[in-house]
Amino acid sequence: MVTDLLTLALPKGKLGEDALQLLQQAGLPVDGVATEARQLVFAFPADRVRYLICRPTDVPTYVEHGAADLGIVGKDTLAEAGADVFELVDLGFGYCRFVVAAPRQRWEEAGRSLETLLAGSRRVATKFPRVAAAFFQERGLPVEIIKLHGNIELAPLVGLADLIVDIVSTGRTLKENDLVEVVPIFPSTARLIANRVSYRINYQRLRPVIEALKRAAAQGGAGIATCS
Amino acid sequence: MTGSWNNLQVPAGVRDLLPAEAAALRELEQELVAFFQSWGYQEVLTPTFEFVETFQAGSPAGDEGRLYKFIDRQGRILTLRPEMTAPIARLVATSLRREALPLRLCYSARVFRYEEPQAGRLREFHQAGVELIGAGGVAADGEIIALAVETLLQAGLQDFRLGIGQVAVTKGVLHDLGLPQEAVARIKVALAGKDLVGLERLVDEYNLTGSKRRQLELLATLHGGKEALEEARANFIQTGAAAALAGLERVWQALAAYGLEKWLFIDLGILRDFDYYTGIVFEGYVPGLGVPVCGGGRYDGLLGQFGYPCPATGFALGLERVLMARGEGQGAGQDGYLVAGRDLAAVLRRAQELRRRGVTVIIDGESQNRQEAAARAAARGLALVWVD
Repeated sequence: MVTDLLTLALPKGKLGEDALQLLQQAGLPVDGVATEARQLVFAFPADRVRYLICRPTDVPTYVEHGAADLGIVGKDTLAEAGADVFELVDLGFGYCRFVVAAPRQRWEEAGRSLETLLAGSRRVATKFPRVAAAFFQERGLPVEIIKLHGNIELAPLVGLADLIVDIVSTGRTLKENDLVEVVPIFPSTARLIANRVSYRINYQRLRPVIEALKRAAAQGGAGIATCS
Repeated sequence: MTGSWNNLQVPAGVRDLLPAEAAALRELEQELVAFFQSWGYQEVLTPTFEFVETFQAGSPAGDEGRLYKFIDRQGRILTLRPEMTAPIARLVATSLRREALPLRLCYSARVFRYEEPQAGRLREFHQAGVELIGAGGVAADGEIIALAVETLLQAGLQDFRLGIGQVAVTKGVLHDLGLPQEAVARIKVALAGKDLVGLERLVDEYNLTGSKRRQLELLATLHGGKEALEEARANFIQTGAAAALAGLERVWQALAAYGLEKWLFIDLGILRDFDYYTGIVFEGYVPGLGVPVCGGGRYDGLLGQFGYPCPATGFALGLERVLMARGEGQGAGQDGYLVAGRDLAAVLRRAQELRRRGVTVIIDGESQNRQEAAARAAARGLALVWVD
């Protein structure tokens, strides 16, 4: 049967908290939902809505496989996941941007040119190998990508890599580690995504929710929040 | 465990079918082929591997990164077939070239694609489908969609929907925008991937306003039944898409009058492999299954790639997906007899008699007495026949 229950995958953490604010503004039930609790499923049978609390990087997976109809996820995570999902609405919050960053001194020595910088060194540390590979490939710059899971700023400090590709919001972390942003890659905000089958087959159920979230986002959404 | 046990593993994306699953799959295959034959589609079998060029002639699954390729002793590149439409187009353009058109052909075959394995997405899987070659127009499109709906019903699915799009509408509207090629290409990518955020950015970037903006929005989101077609007509009447849209309406009207409306909806956002298809396209969806269960459409350009230009349409079902949607796999145990006794010749003779009646008979030459044989028969859910 065509199910009437709508399942929405939400990311844990700050982005999830912002998403909850937006859901509330869109008129969806959020009473008692917390993204950092032990409870991972929150159901509102009267509203025919259910939330799954996932690791941010897992949101595209839940949606792609159809375990959730809709999901809220940062464009950064989505771009890296390469999942086959529909990207429906830019929700506006969770702003950050992908950048290439280098140690300040080396950047100055290279005359502020990416080509020159890469002439002698080509190791790039990142948490986002797919995004990084696509960026350098498009520019015809061969690089060696080193996948790390966090604290990317450390890699150039100890000679593990020459450059990093990372997300920044204020740029403070870069500054503290004496790194400079050398090229912007693309900006990222939270997105509403849908499973491609669910979007088509449960269209009547999904549409009012999508429209409500779109309106809430257009009205300023959850205010400007940034990703950590 | 000691050792690597590599001889116990299978590669990612392939799997064994256990007796109940294998039986369900074979039964489904036979049912489908018989059903296609009842519509006049004749079965063909093509080689499991072919020259890679067959799949580079614009085949939607011919994308280099997704083919399994190897080299023969003359140094030619061979590939495991990723789909059946291109081999059938090659076959029609060569061996069946003298046959009168239209040709109705069907198949059930294993195909191979190098994809990231996930639920419903394997690297070796079964497809059954039909190709209607040499027929353009509303009648052929209507026949293929009606056949697709009835095939899903025949396969035991009830609760599915078939979404119909028309890529010529999208192509016509994009052409009329009068944008540079690069812009059209970017808009196509956004539409095909249902990247509505990206599409909105492009609309702003290329300063599309008024009716042009509205038309692009509709292309991406128009969804529904008859009313969706009416809305499309109102918005696209002045465009190069009008003729394609009129054809879609005629197909819809015929199928609705035939009684299939409850399974169908229109969604102009369904584009499938945009550059390969030329007209009406469709996909079948089942609740709970994250991927389409079947898909197809009109591909009038493919046969020309094999030197035999003619219109064509068809569709394929993923059999593993059908079985998954039916929630099957653990079929019932075997029905039949266990024939046991001390005289092996007598046991074989009795078993043969029973088999001639069309039942499954397993022989048991090991049991020393009736009680032992009865226990064995009971364990397998079989009826015991003891031969004294």
